[in-house]
Amino acid sequence: MINSLKALQTRLSPPLLALLLAIILYFIGGILAPGFVNVEQAINIVRLAAFLGIIAAGQTLIIISGSEGIDLSAGAVVTLGAILAFRISNGQDSMVIPGLLVALAAGASIGFSNGLGITLFGIPPLVMTLGMTGVVAGTIRAVTRGELEGGTPPIMGKLISAPLVAGLPGVIFLWLLIGFGMWLLLERTAYGKQLFAIGINRTTARLSGVRVQLVVLATYTLGGLLAALGGFILLAFSQTVFLNLGQPYLFPSIAAVVVGGTVLAGGQGSYWGTMSGALVLTLLQSLLRALQIEEALQLIVLGSTLVVLISFYGRERKLRQ
Amino acid sequence: MDVSLSAQHIVKRYGGVVALADGNLNVASGEVVALLGANGSGKSTLSKIITGVVSPNEGSLLIDGRPTTLSSPQIAKKLGITAVYQELSLIPDMTVSENIWLTHEPLRGKSLIKNREVRARTQELLNLFSGTFKSLAPDIPVKMLPPDERQIVEILKALSTQPRLIILDEATASLDTQQVNRLFDLVADWKSRGMAIVFVSHRMEEIFRVADRATVLRSGRSVGDIPMSDATRESLVELMIEGASTPRNIAIDSVKSDAPVRLSVEKLTTSVLKNIAFELRDGELLGLGGLHGQGQSDLLLTLFGDIPHTGKIILSQKPVNFTHPRQAMDNQVAFVPGDRATEGLLLIRSILENLQLPSWANFGTPLNINRARAESQNTAQSLNVVMASLDAPVSSLSGGNAQKIVIGKWMSRNPKLLLLNDPTKGVDVGAKGEFYNLLAQLQQQGTAILFYSSDDDELLGLCNRVLVLHDGEITAELSGGDLTHANLVSASMGTQQENNV
Amino acid sequence: MNQSSLQSFLRRNPYLFTLLLLVVAIFFNFQFQDNLFEANVVNRNMRVLLPTMLLTVGQAIVIIGGGIDLSVGTMVSMINAILVTRILPDSTSSEIALGFFLACGAGILAGMFNGLCVAYLRLQPVVTTYATSFVFSGIALAILPRPAGQIPRPLTDFYRNPQLGIPTAVYIIILLLIFWVLLRSTRYGQFLFATGSKANAAYTTGVPVVRIRFSTYVWSGLFAAFAAIALTLLSGSGDPRLGDDMTLPTIVAVVLGGTRLSGGQGGIAGPLMGVAILTVIGNIISFANIDSWYQDLVNALIIIIALAGPGIVRLIRRLIGR
Repeated sequence: MINSLKALQTRLSPPLLALLLAIILYFIGGILAPGFVNVEQAINIVRLAAFLGIIAAGQTLIIISGSEGIDLSAGAVVTLGAILAFRISNGQDSMVIPGLLVALAAGASIGFSNGLGITLFGIPPLVMTLGMTGVVAGTIRAVTRGELEGGTPPIMGKLISAPLVAGLPGVIFLWLLIGFGMWLLLERTAYGKQLFAIGINRTTARLSGVRVQLVVLATYTLGGLLAALGGFILLAFSQTVFLNLGQPYLFPSIAAVVVGGTVLAGGQGSYWGTMSGALVLTLLQSLLRALQIEEALQLIVLGSTLVVLISFYGRERKLRQ
Repeated sequence: MDVSLSAQHIVKRYGGVVALADGNLNVASGEVVALLGANGSGKSTLSKIITGVVSPNEGSLLIDGRPTTLSSPQIAKKLGITAVYQELSLIPDMTVSENIWLTHEPLRGKSLIKNREVRARTQELLNLFSGTFKSLAPDIPVKMLPPDERQIVEILKALSTQPRLIILDEATASLDTQQVNRLFDLVADWKSRGMAIVFVSHRMEEIFRVADRATVLRSGRSVGDIPMSDATRESLVELMIEGASTPRNIAIDSVKSDAPVRLSVEKLTTSVLKNIAFELRDGELLGLGGLHGQGQSDLLLTLFGDIPHTGKIILSQKPVNFTHPRQAMDNQVAFVPGDRATEGLLLIRSILENLQLPSWANFGTPLNINRARAESQNTAQSLNVVMASLDAPVSSLSGGNAQKIVIGKWMSRNPKLLLLNDPTKGVDVGAKGEFYNLLAQLQQQGTAILFYSSDDDELLGLCNRVLVLHDGEITAELSGGDLTHANLVSASMGTQQENNV
Repeated sequence: MNQSSLQSFLRRNPYLFTLLLLVVAIFFNFQFQDNLFEANVVNRNMRVLLPTMLLTVGQAIVIIGGGIDLSVGTMVSMINAILVTRILPDSTSSEIALGFFLACGAGILAGMFNGLCVAYLRLQPVVTTYATSFVFSGIALAILPRPAGQIPRPLTDFYRNPQLGIPTAVYIIILLLIFWVLLRSTRYGQFLFATGSKANAAYTTGVPVVRIRFSTYVWSGLFAAFAAIALTLLSGSGDPRLGDDMTLPTIVAVVLGGTRLSGGQGGIAGPLMGVAILTVIGNIISFANIDSWYQDLVNALIIIIALAGPGIVRLIRRLIGR
């Protein structure tokens, strides 16, 4: 069985494999939890996956950039983006765009700071983004002083979260659009080619004229921007903000990227994979909730499942051949 | 000491690639057997198998007449078989003595390391090479040593295990002449004590100096086991490559002295280079020679914008100060690194991706992939690259073809100045010939070429003028009648050149 | 001292910068808190420091070996849950001993699980230990759904009060330093550094790289158990999330202590000082009359600046060198 699984793994690309896994999980859900398999539930799952998928977009870019690239501040930036949009727009449709822009600008600045710390001061990405989480969380506390006032403009709910066309909420179309945009960015721009190059071998990239530091800086900035976008979109769903809004999405965002076949060492991967990975993770979480498993067991299952998934996708090279 | 090793009909596969189809090697006490073969012949695979680093798929290994399985380098070491690689096995952050004694440190009781004994015995070993090094000492971290001294540490490390059989795998590549001489003195001593030695190398001159027998591998098979007394350079090379040997040298027309000066360098200084000055004209192939690590790579990288410097660089009659390779590229300078796997190629990416890596910005947004493919196809064809398709990963190419991709990256950009950093290191004889033809072509088109090679024969055969570097300075500029092997070597050592009248 | 001997001195003692930071931090702390050096204040600080210090030693060993362990914090939570459910106010001494024994066993088992995944299955350390941290957190919640528990007074008193005039923590720290010196002078110690510095080269040389990596995670689990014991004795009760926030400080402390995250060099003296620095900074912030809403931010910013320290120095040296 292991051998045929391995054969399957080499013949199908990771995103397809993840998609297959998602479908299997969906039907397992149907068997174990009656009422799991219906159109409404399916749409809901895709909707939830969309939020995770959009938040994981920036993480995908950062992990592809290699050199232990990772963004542990993504959760905090999501929260920051949501809070800023909430406060600036203050529940008024006319202020939606300014709210979005401020959120994006803040996310980009955080990402840029991460990039600076990593490129200019040589702080490892893990440590830099972990530390930045504290800065963002601290900033949120300092600025809001615990009072989260504002409002969610109704238009956001209507366009993003509520059913828009054929019962499908706008976020699904938005996600597909972002998916296409990410594909363009990664496969049809010089930036994308250079991103893969620096993920594979920074020396070769540099000696081929790639401005490695600039690409890294741009990637983390973009990562912050996309995380803030994720926060904005999440706001449409949650309709309110709280200090821990984005944090639960951090771990799944990394997991989605890994499950989707993007190699943690960098230089290989795709956003389609992350999208499939987001579906897998959302299905897993929904399944656990539908089975009414208590939180403690949910955590154990989630963690263990990820370990199992990584053993298919995330193994490093053998020392002896 | 009495030892014998016999590897018989060894087969080794890496996925779908057959590295060894029929490998054989025999060596016994008191003899030096040379292991020869072109790149891709399976020579390093065989050497890794007899030291336990890699496990064979088929075949047998007889040690002292007994069939043995070497499941790890440790087992091999316990049987007295040790290898000296090209600084593959040194831990950069650890000191010379820590590296030499790693895994077999002398212990007090069962666990505590006897530091004083370690230092003393390390010094004893270092004394074997006394007079041939500058920085070696027991407590220096290996990462602070130059490549030749690191190689000495590798040799001493193998020696410290008191081996019965020692494999020198390209161990002389980083050593200078003095150090090689000392090593060969030691080898003679080891022979007389009954050690068996396997000498893996592609340097004919050294093989003829030190070996008793030669085993030749070609395309994964052993094709000959000849006593050196019966062998000649030509006969060995013929065994190594199929068919007749390719001529090593290409006749180059002398450069027109009125060709424009493409590059002019004055007082160029970096942390390694000292006041370098020279000129290079269009269509000229200027060689850089000298011992390893005397600043040749640094010079090339500085010109390419990868190393900060002071002094003047005038390119195409304009003063330039590049701070990044990108700027050099935009001024039509190209750089071909020596270590293509780690500096020149993205191994897992396709040939197309590798060829266009410097040039994607020219294809618009979104990228016009069709145009990129067409251009890449042209480049690959003009270089005679043997490949399955543009989308095949570059790792699927043979050494010579992969090197063509490294150069191909730059061809479509029509470079006016080409910097080559020991590009034929590890390239087999056949591919070298094609490379020399390419250089001749480029010269005729007017490209100025600056060419560092660690192979003196190559420099002598290709260049009309050679700058010899020693300790970061140009110690000699040899051309015409002065350009002889003897002068090259003495200039490399830093001694005065003789003028041939 | 000329340039190169200064450089080699600094190279062999990377935690001198850390020591400097610590001295500066303590100086500032003293400005805001003039009873800092009084015996009972020292004791209070030391006993709060010790759990994180113990945890950091385990983390340092993993990092030197080339890995990282993001599950140490939740391991502490899990073991704390085990301790308070096994050591009750009316427990006999043998039950208490059993409790400690189980705690260490749990730590070792958890470490072995991490080690199996990272060393033997060759899974990437960051994401794997991040995943296992959820598993440990779940186990903690399963054992102890809500904060509860009460550790017998004699035990907590022993930990909290100075013994023979010296805080208990100080004895432990001395033991830790002795432990490290011994470890460094064994072959195992050499193997550890070799594995973290360049695993391929170590393997070719015959170092049992996989076993060494596995062992580092077992150390991490064991020290997490020690940290959990210390923390439980300090707080006297249990909370399924007690240790969750301890992971980041261990990593920051290791970096502050001059030990590279990529492994192969460093020690534990630096990281132990790093823990002290973080705590002192926390003290400074709470005593310096900073608006309570700003305290977290200031703390985080100072940490980032401290992390950037070596990088800033390198940048300045490069700019001067040009």
